[in-house]
Amino acid sequence: MLTSILKRTAVTAVALAAFSTAAFAQLNELKIMAPAAPGGGWDGTARSMQQALTTAGIVKSVQVTNVTGAGGTIGLAQLIGAKGQGDQLMVNGFVMVGAILLNKSPVNLTQVTPIARLTAEAEVIVVPADSPLKTAKDLADRLKADPAKVTWAGGSAGGTDHILAALFAQAVGADAKKINYIPFSGGGEALAAMLGGRVTAGVSGYGEFEGQIKAGKLRVLAVSSSKRLENAPDAPTLKEQGIDLELLNWRSVVAPPGLSADQTKALIDTVEKMVKSKEWQEILKARGWDDSFLAGAAFDTFLKAEIERVSKVMTEVGLVK
Amino acid sequence: MTNETRKAAANKPALIVGVLLLIVAALVGHDASQQTITSTYGVGPTAVPYVVAAGLVILGLAHFVVAFREGLPAPEEADSKALLWIAGGLAFLIACIALGGGFVIAIAALFACTARGMGRRALLIDAAIGFVLGLVIFLVFAKLLTLILPSGPLERLFL
Amino acid sequence: MDTLLSLLHGFTVALAPSKMLFCLIGVFLGTAVGVLPGIGPALTVALLLPVTFKLDPAGSLIMFAGIYYGGMYGGSTTAILLNAPGESASLATALEGSKMAKAGRGGPALATSAIGSFVAGLIATIGLAFLAPWLVEVAVHFGPWDYFALMIVAFVTVSATFGDSPLRGLTSLFLGITLGLVGIDKLTGQARLTFGVPELLNGVEVTTLAVGLFAVGEAFYVASKRFRDPEEIIPIKGSLWMTKQDWKRSWAPWLRGTAFGFPIGALPAGGAEVPTFLSYSTEKRLCKYPEEFGKGAIEGVAGPEAANNASAAGTLVPLLTLGLPTSATAAIMLAGFQQYGLNPGPLLFAEKPDLVWGLIASLFIANVMLVILNLPLIGLWVRLLAIPQPWLYAGILVFSTMGTLAVNGSPVELAMLFAFGFLGYLMRRYDYPVAPMVVGLILGPMAEQQLRRALQISLGDPMILLENPGSATLLGIAFVALVAPFVMSGLNRFKASED
Repeated sequence: MLTSILKRTAVTAVALAAFSTAAFAQLNELKIMAPAAPGGGWDGTARSMQQALTTAGIVKSVQVTNVTGAGGTIGLAQLIGAKGQGDQLMVNGFVMVGAILLNKSPVNLTQVTPIARLTAEAEVIVVPADSPLKTAKDLADRLKADPAKVTWAGGSAGGTDHILAALFAQAVGADAKKINYIPFSGGGEALAAMLGGRVTAGVSGYGEFEGQIKAGKLRVLAVSSSKRLENAPDAPTLKEQGIDLELLNWRSVVAPPGLSADQTKALIDTVEKMVKSKEWQEILKARGWDDSFLAGAAFDTFLKAEIERVSKVMTEVGLVK
Repeated sequence: MTNETRKAAANKPALIVGVLLLIVAALVGHDASQQTITSTYGVGPTAVPYVVAAGLVILGLAHFVVAFREGLPAPEEADSKALLWIAGGLAFLIACIALGGGFVIAIAALFACTARGMGRRALLIDAAIGFVLGLVIFLVFAKLLTLILPSGPLERLFL
Repeated sequence: MDTLLSLLHGFTVALAPSKMLFCLIGVFLGTAVGVLPGIGPALTVALLLPVTFKLDPAGSLIMFAGIYYGGMYGGSTTAILLNAPGESASLATALEGSKMAKAGRGGPALATSAIGSFVAGLIATIGLAFLAPWLVEVAVHFGPWDYFALMIVAFVTVSATFGDSPLRGLTSLFLGITLGLVGIDKLTGQARLTFGVPELLNGVEVTTLAVGLFAVGEAFYVASKRFRDPEEIIPIKGSLWMTKQDWKRSWAPWLRGTAFGFPIGALPAGGAEVPTFLSYSTEKRLCKYPEEFGKGAIEGVAGPEAANNASAAGTLVPLLTLGLPTSATAAIMLAGFQQYGLNPGPLLFAEKPDLVWGLIASLFIANVMLVILNLPLIGLWVRLLAIPQPWLYAGILVFSTMGTLAVNGSPVELAMLFAFGFLGYLMRRYDYPVAPMVVGLILGPMAEQQLRRALQISLGDPMILLENPGSATLLGIAFVALVAPFVMSGLNRFKASED
């Protein structure tokens, strides 16, 4: 497997040597890898970038490739193998941080060149409308009294939702190891479990629950962002309720390791131009994504902090030993 | 199933399947025993593997019983040359994709080898047909569906 | 009455000539892409989504509906003609359909599949229009224990695919369940049976196993006995169209398939596979010619195909009323809606009645278009089988690997396809049925997850399965279905000994 990657890399490296040296401010060609199957969230981001970059005329030709498997870590390994190639980007996000730990992946996100964070979505903690729980504090009290009786519905084990539930338990002084978190496949099933009154609380990205919240079938106990959300001004943040916790489910792009300063700058410039383009802003609006552009060194610092926080909580919850 | 020909010796294929099933059961059981993380509530990730392993053991033992009774249905003689051609084509395909030779060449070889295995004797013509087929598929995927199939030097000429 | 008026209004939106054209294009594209094995409806819709960007919301949703139904139908075409089920829901179709195709009855098989899909789509879409709000209330109250019990029912009925040796059938099933264990455990995130191979962490892809066992395995098998016992493929024998007898044998399976497919499809975790298995085994039990099953019984195509399509319409129930995407396809449709600032959910019907009813009306139209477009094509499809055998099988292998490569182009995945193909050959050689293995891979993980979720909610108390009326009833049905054949055969033996 490794030799195959190396060989492939060698072939492409030779073929592309000409391009990478010529890559200054303007890129002619860009490959964006979505480390997931076509049709998923990362793939959607990659294809949206492709659309924005080409229609806005920032890059002439953009190619999207899909490398599936293992929470994106197979794609990550391939990107790390493409050392020094300044014409490649890979889409990734918060979920990959957890997946790397969970899969005991031999490669990790400190080995790549961080380019920029693109979007972010706040998480919400909700309860069914007829639940006696009214505030995040009510939930915290219940959790402290008996963590087993508080069932959480959310996405995959070790994903953003799970991590938020664990961080919440920690922040309110309950035993994070004891949380009764039930992973469902996809937000749809978790939502059904909520509506059917099967679980105490649900965690998900705001967008996934929006319809039900607006229809009054679910009540938001808290949002995980630093400020209240524009489209849900009534939902209080965790911080407002005295719980020191903030978490965003972000998506970003990273590049292969071993890039020169020029190459890195060219990529950052390209992405920045795209983020400022009318086309990208339209896509964000259509897809309901929030712009949270953060580039270069600032993103690098942010990424490192997130990796540390996630590995700490995953060890404490017992997901990683 | 009542008029089976009783044989004195054990039926070899049934014995082999039985042994293989026991090996799979052992693998599943061993893997489950190595798991370190359990669920805090309910049953953990090892419960079902143990049940499955137990089922496999029972099935494996049942195959031993069958081996001494009616055995597995006797297969017809196989044309191993034909099998080898197809297997060779698939093996070439995998190697070609793994080593970065690209989709079109891999498909051309697979097409030619399979046709040969099925009894045609025009390897070069079939390779040419496979080549054109592979190229058309590659271009349709790349240009119309924006899905890039594995590319080698040849495919890059068209991107 | 309101519903009816709204629906009529929807038709006035969808029946405009330009909209009809979009619908036709959608159906055509959906069928063309959906025909590629390995590319199921979900991927078809995902890949063609950008095509719809350029249109106005109504037009693109209508084209979307066309693509959706077209993709569904395209999948069954390959299952019947090439024995390569491109998605798990057309597995049951492949069982009888491919046998019919080889015996020269590909025409009737494709026809009963097209008309069955049409009938099921029609009834299910009516169900969607009139029953959605009520059905969804029931659906969300289906808990993990109920799902687990439903999976058990499906497991029991799988015995219909065992062939004549329960031992060999069970072996195949258990190997499938074992394969289902491979990968990340969804509930703890822990890797099982991956042996350090990162490509295995995502588990074994159902389509890789199905295409490997069915299509590749068959190619090996046919090649291996080419001299001794050459396979004969008859493109057309008798009528290309369904005979009176075919109609008589198809209509009831269509209706029963719809009755399984629509409600189970509407369940948030119901899926399309379970109803197709239930339909297949029901038809086998009720069929007047049970000996034809395994050799190409038309009921075995008519029922599962109807179930498959009805469940597709069923998944639109939670999607439109709750905004719940319950299948990969539905998730992509949701993304499609969101392109136009439409948020499916409780408020959608109230806020955008034009679009919703336009969409439902266009589902009806897409359904009609599908039949109009595809019935004439049947003759063409069937002629594919007249390709000289070496090229036909070479082509099948090319298409199978292409599907695998398009979704996941890793050498490991290809190696699995190859290994499953060879396993399929060996299983055919020693008369092990291959279908139960795929069923085990599909149902095993679903059953395990639901059981563990149920026990997590009950804090480990297994009685939860019997205390809930829904799961208790379903488990009862499973028990009866399991025991009944033994009791019956016992009774028969008793009678026989009396004679």
